[in-house]
Amino acid sequence: MAISLNKGGNLSLTKSDPGLKKISVGLGWDVRQTEGADFDLDASCFLTGETGKVRSDADFIFYNQLQTPDGTVQHTGDNLTGEGEGDDESIIVDLANISADIFKLAFTVTIHDAQARSQNFGQVAEAFIRVVNVDTNNEIVRYDLSEDASTETAMIFGEVYRNAGEWKFRAVGQGFAGGLGPLAQNFGVHI
Amino acid sequence: MRGQKIKLADSTQSLQLRAGIGAQSAALSFDISCFGVDASGQLSDDRYFVFYNQRTSPEGALRMVGSQSGDAETFEIDLSKLPATIQKLVFALTVDGAGEMKSLQSGYFRLEADGQEIARFPFAGSDFGAEKAVIVAEIYKKDVWRLSAVGQGFAGGLSALLKNFGGEELEAKQPESVPISPVVAPPIPIPIAATPTQPKVNLGKVTLDKKGEKTAISLIKGGGVQPFRVNLNWEAPAKKGFLASLTGSAPDLDLGCMFRLKNGRGGVIQPLGNYFGSQSSEPFIYLDKDDRSGAAQDGENLTIFRPDEIDLVMIFALIYEGAADFTSVNGRVTLKDQNGNEILIRLGAPERGLGFCAVATIRNVGGHIEITKEEQYFKGHMEADQRFGFGFNWKAGSK
Repeated sequence: MAISLNKGGNLSLTKSDPGLKKISVGLGWDVRQTEGADFDLDASCFLTGETGKVRSDADFIFYNQLQTPDGTVQHTGDNLTGEGEGDDESIIVDLANISADIFKLAFTVTIHDAQARSQNFGQVAEAFIRVVNVDTNNEIVRYDLSEDASTETAMIFGEVYRNAGEWKFRAVGQGFAGGLGPLAQNFGVHI
Repeated sequence: MRGQKIKLADSTQSLQLRAGIGAQSAALSFDISCFGVDASGQLSDDRYFVFYNQRTSPEGALRMVGSQSGDAETFEIDLSKLPATIQKLVFALTVDGAGEMKSLQSGYFRLEADGQEIARFPFAGSDFGAEKAVIVAEIYKKDVWRLSAVGQGFAGGLSALLKNFGGEELEAKQPESVPISPVVAPPIPIPIAATPTQPKVNLGKVTLDKKGEKTAISLIKGGGVQPFRVNLNWEAPAKKGFLASLTGSAPDLDLGCMFRLKNGRGGVIQPLGNYFGSQSSEPFIYLDKDDRSGAAQDGENLTIFRPDEIDLVMIFALIYEGAADFTSVNGRVTLKDQNGNEILIRLGAPERGLGFCAVATIRNVGGHIEITKEEQYFKGHMEADQRFGFGFNWKAGSK
């Protein structure tokens, strides 16, 4: 049974799901029924060291860079419309084998071309992001973007981080001004 | 702004709300409606589609109360009375007839609680393109009641909007209970005098359901000009309680018309002042009787004997006594020709406190008689005349 965290809340993934090795962070939303440009939401992941910055640009996983060189973090591909049931985009993380100097993975959702299309999360129907155990298909935590985000166009949804030998998850739920570009710069990516 | 969401509880503890929608445009005319939908966003109960032909939900939790406080339409909402199955109220603005939302000058959605405005969402034509229907805002329940400024629409208009709520299926299942006529029907020519050798085109009953809707009767004919008859009927409400005998004479409604002939002559035909008109001389319009109670089977009848002579006739109904307004009398006006074609106009959207209803206008437009449902309510003759521009002199009278 999935746990729904409040903003700022955290949860030990290791304790919630003791056999956990690989997670899938899934993003879903509904296809636009109304007139106008499609809603194109993008899931991205920033792998950071102790400083909260990426080690290099290779640690920024998004639609144009679908995996890390070691393959421990993989984006399953860009979905432009939200068509289809379940997760529309997902990022799979091999927690068991991820490099030891990665302390935190920040998962973000941005709306592609939000400004030009004058779109924000409040207009997108049934947007969610969730963490699933890949081996058991057990959903560990879910976050409903359409209720907790409204006029934002970029959001740090949550982060998975190391804490005393465990993997934990924190519901960040923080909006971010600007799109994916400024967000990436914030994490130390060279854009 | 568009996409913004709030929890109502952050602004008010009240569940009694007033929602107002405004829309300004020189080029467009609008319909405003509200869909009460279930948790899956479907209109599973068509009684919760509140629109011009169905102005209130069964228990009265959702009521369309007309244009108030500057709004184009105001809704009174009692969320505490809504059945649990209704999880979302979707407020929609649709273009009636031709035009696109981009021609909208300005519009807004606003929400009031305890007389205080708690939210306002302005929008403009620049937010839209070819849409003919726009979901303006939604009040919905997700743990708690929330408001979302939507401002997104459908190029396909009200029918695309209905489809979005599963209304298409519903239309097919229950065509009787949802008389949706989002598009003004093109004038339907009703041949008024078919020759006996030709099969008659009998359209049966045409119902003009909404203001401004039109139909036409052709004057192209084989023989002479065919008269047609206008009938007003109403009901005396059942009397309740012992006070009824003290207060209650049955409502007395009068049928009448203001007319202007093609030769410029004008006047008023009505029981008040005993001006019943004439069959054989100008204005060739005749009122048959004054039914004082609604008890007569066939109500009151006005016959227009020479529709080819008229320029403009405005049919009106007024309450002479026994009721304050049209809300309790279930007024119906029918227009019939001699071939059994019938046009029904229900006085379905009465306004409180106004005892004069301009029901329909009849215009002679190049050989066609065009009948337009007006259903506009006024205090009296003079105010109605100002609207329709006959320019008569008015003084008080009685019968």
